[in-house]
Amino acid sequence: MNGYQGQILHLDLTRREYSAIDTEKYIDWGGGHGLGSAVFWDLCKDKDLANMRGIDPENVVTLMTSPLSGTLVPSASGRVEVQGIGYQQYPVNWFTRSNFGGRFGGQLKYAGWDGIVVEGKADTPTWVEITDGEVAFRDAGDLWGKDTQDTQKAIWDVQSEELLGLHGWTELGGRDTGRSSQRSAIVTIGPAGENLSAFGCLIHDAGNASGQCGFGAVFGSKNLKAISVLGTGSISIADPGALLQARLAAKELYAQQPDAPLSEAGVLGVGFGAPPKPSLFCPPPPGASGPQSCQGCINGCRARWESAIANESSCQETGCYVVFDVIAHGQPTDASIQATDLVQRYGVNSYETEGCLKYLLSLNMKGLLGAGKAINTSLNMDRLGEVDFIKDFLDMVAYRKDIGEDLAEGTVRASIKWGRYEEDSADGSLGFPYWGMVEHGYDSRAEIEWGYGSIVGDRDINEHCFNWLMWESFVSIGMTGAPSFSAEEFAKIATDKMAPYAGDMKMLDYGTPNLYSEHIAKLVAWHRHYSRFWKQSALYCDFRYPDFINFHRGDKIGLSGQMEHEFWNAVTGGDMTWEKGIEIGRRIWNLDNAIWTLQGRHRDMAKFAKYVYLHPAEEWHMGSFYPMPVQDEAGQWQYANVMGRNLDEAGVEEWKTLFYKLEGWDAQTGWPTRATLEALELPEVADKLESVQKLGAA
Amino acid sequence: MEDKEGTTQQTGISRRQLVAGFGGIALGAAFAAPIVQMFILPDDVIAFAASEGYLLVDRKKCQGCNTCMMACSLAHHGVQSLSLARIQVTQDPFAAFPNDRQIDQCRQCPGAPCVSVCPTGANHIDAGNGNVRTIDRRKCIGCQACVAACPFNLSRAIWNGDEKHAQKCDLCADTPFWDKPVGEQACRAVCPTGAISFTEEIPIQTDAGYEVNLRGENWAALGFPID
Repeated sequence: MNGYQGQILHLDLTRREYSAIDTEKYIDWGGGHGLGSAVFWDLCKDKDLANMRGIDPENVVTLMTSPLSGTLVPSASGRVEVQGIGYQQYPVNWFTRSNFGGRFGGQLKYAGWDGIVVEGKADTPTWVEITDGEVAFRDAGDLWGKDTQDTQKAIWDVQSEELLGLHGWTELGGRDTGRSSQRSAIVTIGPAGENLSAFGCLIHDAGNASGQCGFGAVFGSKNLKAISVLGTGSISIADPGALLQARLAAKELYAQQPDAPLSEAGVLGVGFGAPPKPSLFCPPPPGASGPQSCQGCINGCRARWESAIANESSCQETGCYVVFDVIAHGQPTDASIQATDLVQRYGVNSYETEGCLKYLLSLNMKGLLGAGKAINTSLNMDRLGEVDFIKDFLDMVAYRKDIGEDLAEGTVRASIKWGRYEEDSADGSLGFPYWGMVEHGYDSRAEIEWGYGSIVGDRDINEHCFNWLMWESFVSIGMTGAPSFSAEEFAKIATDKMAPYAGDMKMLDYGTPNLYSEHIAKLVAWHRHYSRFWKQSALYCDFRYPDFINFHRGDKIGLSGQMEHEFWNAVTGGDMTWEKGIEIGRRIWNLDNAIWTLQGRHRDMAKFAKYVYLHPAEEWHMGSFYPMPVQDEAGQWQYANVMGRNLDEAGVEEWKTLFYKLEGWDAQTGWPTRATLEALELPEVADKLESVQKLGAA
Repeated sequence: MEDKEGTTQQTGISRRQLVAGFGGIALGAAFAAPIVQMFILPDDVIAFAASEGYLLVDRKKCQGCNTCMMACSLAHHGVQSLSLARIQVTQDPFAAFPNDRQIDQCRQCPGAPCVSVCPTGANHIDAGNGNVRTIDRRKCIGCQACVAACPFNLSRAIWNGDEKHAQKCDLCADTPFWDKPVGEQACRAVCPTGAISFTEEIPIQTDAGYEVNLRGENWAALGFPID
């Protein structure tokens, strides 16, 4: 097999045994998310999914690579897709996803595995050690309690003692077995996961995180402290020459050239054409730094620092404490980057941290939270913005101390327990618009595809496909007075790539009259299908793809729709096309909906928190201006500020009906129908849903 | 240069040892190629023709993406592997920059200890390709003397456990899976940040590596140091 290694590692933690699942059986699903959903379906469809929580031992967790992992396909080599029943979402722990970057996926492939399936529960803290084809279930008693950094260092210390060194190379076994210069790649939990906190996440190396959805707690519930992998093998490639040439061509045509000045056409630097500049939302650590990226990246987004603080951290985790830092000090200080380092060490979801702190502040300002208040806590809100405060808070949510006992079930569940949910989700002080997950920073009332995509799915989508274009427009208008590309270019260039709906530019008309239309239904459907395959199964990184608009091209048209399948075919020898991948994504999306349906999903559950319907969005973290393309009645395109509106609840319900019909689902329930499933070659899925009276009516 | 033998500064086998090792003066034509490369000086000193090419890597510019390693294994072996790469990048995610990354590329040593110790001439000076020190896999018997002889802790001559022969950086003289432009190297071509350069002059080197700064004002514009 080319690209694939042909086997998926199956871990039975209860029996401390392992076996191999034949990848060939699942190859039509592509990789990553497709593999994970299909394996989860096979292993769990007959379990009590309607009542399963993320921390139940019956849960199955998958970590899947794609055929591109460990290859030099640009910005598609480094990511691993994590799936299973999560522990964060409310009211249902949906079957959900997260993923992390770095080098774990490549090492897993070099070890000879396409992915890992984790079943059961170990009786004592356990660390799984994968060394090429050998797997050991090791005692993690000495590791349990350590933070994510100390855990990895301790494992490396053990391995450097145990593995033979030969002239600087680690030798695995005898003369004719593999050698490596690398340290093992490790994914681990910290104290938050160990204590089954919904804030718990998975951390790999210094700054790669499977952050959302509580997979840290899921690992912790299985007594699984860490998985390490070291691989010395090779990945076969169908057409090596074509792959290398394609990489070089992509670099020449679409990437920021080394040592060239930054493009003047674009200002922000996101997407495939971005320079290797760390994406920081706070002042950097002191001292010098150098670039750092995931394996195979075309140009990275992180750095490592002379101070060794918050190495490999970027984006959200560097911004999770900035608002509070500024409140306390008038400007951001080093407290923000110190907070970043701490959330990585604790293995805590930085999104939930930020959203929770905003909520606690609002409760404190209402006189409801503090020492001796209705919500009693020793957390000193006067110290919000300081390093000691964030450390106290992380201690609470990681170790379930003080109000951390309530918060560890998730901020929304804590709000319910405190009797605050109805009021605070209506006035928006609890900024958690869907599924118990914090608003991402892109208000559903403004960026509609983000909100809709989230409520028809399982989680906050975290897919920036169109959002990057908004950012570029926002920054360019602010810095230069004019956008880098016109609203019409935004709509035309992107929708031209949105097969099979290409040609309908109104899919990107964010004007209020269009919010509940079939055009927007097509936008959301396309986004689900594209992301499920190209981003979450093939594992092209969200920070670089899709490359709709690229400033290194005279016509600004990026490589998406042209090169992703070219790379895929050079690796696998297949006949993938852009459109075929999107169609596979639709198949995966349907299987996911079938799993949610077994979990008790109904369309009535797919809704926003009350504040989204009751109040206009006033500000996002960059202010009150949120530019999106809008087409007026005369057909003219322009950027309009889409802040200042709420969503109409009845309109949203009408939109959902259009969406479900477009997807071929029962509009009464949101369940998949037999006709749709059979057309996707999933008749057994229809049979299962029918057997439990959950098959959608035609 | 680290001297593991503790003997003379110039490495290389003496003429006497060479003659003794091959059992006499009657050297066959099969050994003519490596012999042509040796300039026989006084008994205990032999020099090799200097390489006409050297890879330099600015570790402060390296982003640790390992694309160079993947390109190397792809161009030479048609597969993706870090273990088969003839340039190695190792990292410590938690260490302080710039000691969080190290790049270990072959230095094309003037004294070529890996060439000197090879009993079959598999590891040789390739006069047709700028005197690059390279290994003919057809002649390699797998003794791994070259691996041991490399003066650097991560040996630059490496063992290919799949194909059972030693191999090393040949500056892409022979890339069966890459139809490459003349004078190009796969690692240098793919490097996203331009952290790898090529020179024909023997570089100044220390135990820590070649001294090279490939960063200029456009690099500084990204917020990185250029000293």
